[in-house]
Amino acid sequence: MKMLGVAAVGSLAVLLLLGCPPEEPTDPVDELVERGERLFFEETFEGNGRTCGTCHPRENNFTLDPEFIATLPDGDALFVAETNPDLAKNFENPRLMRRLGLILENLDGFGDLENTFVMRGIPPTLALRTSVASGAGPRTGWSGDGAPGDGSLRAFATGAVIQHFTRTTNRIAGVDFRLPTEDELDAMEAFQLSLGRQKDLVLPIELKGEAGARGQEIFLDRTLGKCSLCHFNAGANGDPAAFGPQAGNLSFDTGVEALPDQPADLTGELVPPDDGFGRPGNGQFNTPALVESADMPPFFHNNAVDTIEGAVAFYNGDAFNNSPAGQVLAGATGSGINLDATQVEAVAAFLRVLNALENIRQSIELLEASGKTRPTERVVSRTSHEIDDASRVLAERMLHLDAVGVLRRAKAAIEGRPPQSAEAIGLLREARSLLAEGIER
Amino acid sequence: MRNTTQKGLMIAFSMLVSAAMAASVQEATELFIPIGQSPNLSNKVTVMGTIESADTAEKTIVVKTDSGSATAAITEKTRIYVDRSRRNERNRDGTFEDLKAGARVEVLYEGRARAASGLAEWVKVEPPSP
Repeated sequence: MKMLGVAAVGSLAVLLLLGCPPEEPTDPVDELVERGERLFFEETFEGNGRTCGTCHPRENNFTLDPEFIATLPDGDALFVAETNPDLAKNFENPRLMRRLGLILENLDGFGDLENTFVMRGIPPTLALRTSVASGAGPRTGWSGDGAPGDGSLRAFATGAVIQHFTRTTNRIAGVDFRLPTEDELDAMEAFQLSLGRQKDLVLPIELKGEAGARGQEIFLDRTLGKCSLCHFNAGANGDPAAFGPQAGNLSFDTGVEALPDQPADLTGELVPPDDGFGRPGNGQFNTPALVESADMPPFFHNNAVDTIEGAVAFYNGDAFNNSPAGQVLAGATGSGINLDATQVEAVAAFLRVLNALENIRQSIELLEASGKTRPTERVVSRTSHEIDDASRVLAERMLHLDAVGVLRRAKAAIEGRPPQSAEAIGLLREARSLLAEGIER
Repeated sequence: MRNTTQKGLMIAFSMLVSAAMAASVQEATELFIPIGQSPNLSNKVTVMGTIESADTAEKTIVVKTDSGSATAAITEKTRIYVDRSRRNERNRDGTFEDLKAGARVEVLYEGRARAASGLAEWVKVEPPSP
């Protein structure tokens, strides 16, 4: 004991002599995630100025929508097709980007840039740890085939650089961009996997509001909403009881492309049909997670629907019920999906409450990760956004206005000078208890 | 009763998704990835070397590698990418005619393993310097 004490004093003396404070041991995983974060938001890969964060901004749930795009300055790298003459043609459609948040992709090849492309929204990079794996290998992007190489999330950045970061449409590696290195791919994958939920919910949960609780019943009812067959636990994976234990993330042709009067088509711009998975495509798109969806409109791969209520109602329509997926569902369960307006509202209310609960979970996690130290401006900003999202997603439909009031107080606490983390965490827990029972994390 | 319903659902949905069980890889951008840089494939499951011979009738190529040689069969489904990035030129889709002796190549076999089939999923070829 005495010897240990002498050794400790000696070590301290050496540290003092060297002028180095003792360092906390660093976690290599954390370091990798931090490096990935820097790359994600700062690295342009010697391309046109875009970073991954250009289309996946932290302050907008790692996705884009027209409302957010409208706040960006004209010089933002997102608008590079408007400012770089080499990218003026066949790289983006600025009108569809600004009006509908649509990005141009050449998933069926780069041979005819004028006519062969699709226009898609930006999928958020949240909860990827729960949604990429499938029985057929990794599924990335809207149609599951978003990554070159082996199709993994790790390989995704390579394809993104080629498609979106290039200086010209020649896309010559070493001239128009540089490809990410192996180390960079590792780091960016680690960062993306760290974002959002790390595991699926377990439904049902005990919800306090009538609309949300009824919505959950409909969502889980295999004879009524039938939602959980494909969105098991409101996530991105198929119900193991229906698809087998290894199903994971699945792809379906749900008929979204058959929707009449799609906003992009109404503009009169050229918007070729999107054939989904494969080349040529089979019309299928993979199932997105729903937990964090309600505060991230517009919906579907083509940003065709503006509200979560509209997205739920889609499954009532001819486009879905006549689709391959709708037909099989009807055959397997005895009928298509036919919800009345009140039921659509209830399912949407359920999804709104789930979304708010996830916003609250993330907020608490961010603040708790700061420990007893004062949260950084980044943590304050992200927490603030999460709380805003939770408040908005509830208030838009007059859901749990008592919780909305508490959330506003939590926001005020975290935005105080100095930020009041402990108070904010307490208020977030209080708000959560107004939405549901028995949720600790 | 519940088990019967579940079984029926499983069969119906398994049929629905079976068509989607293909490898989930984006082919389009692969064109622009130079030889040896395909993420998670190059230096792991692909074969790299130079073309020793090309049999136009059989549609096969023999690739000389550091550890011997490998034969790859080119099918209608095989994608051929002509890698011109070291000349600072745009890569392009190719044909069997681009697979000439002496050219540097990288081959990805179907099934991601050389022994699996001998059939090439894609071949990247860098034409010999003029």
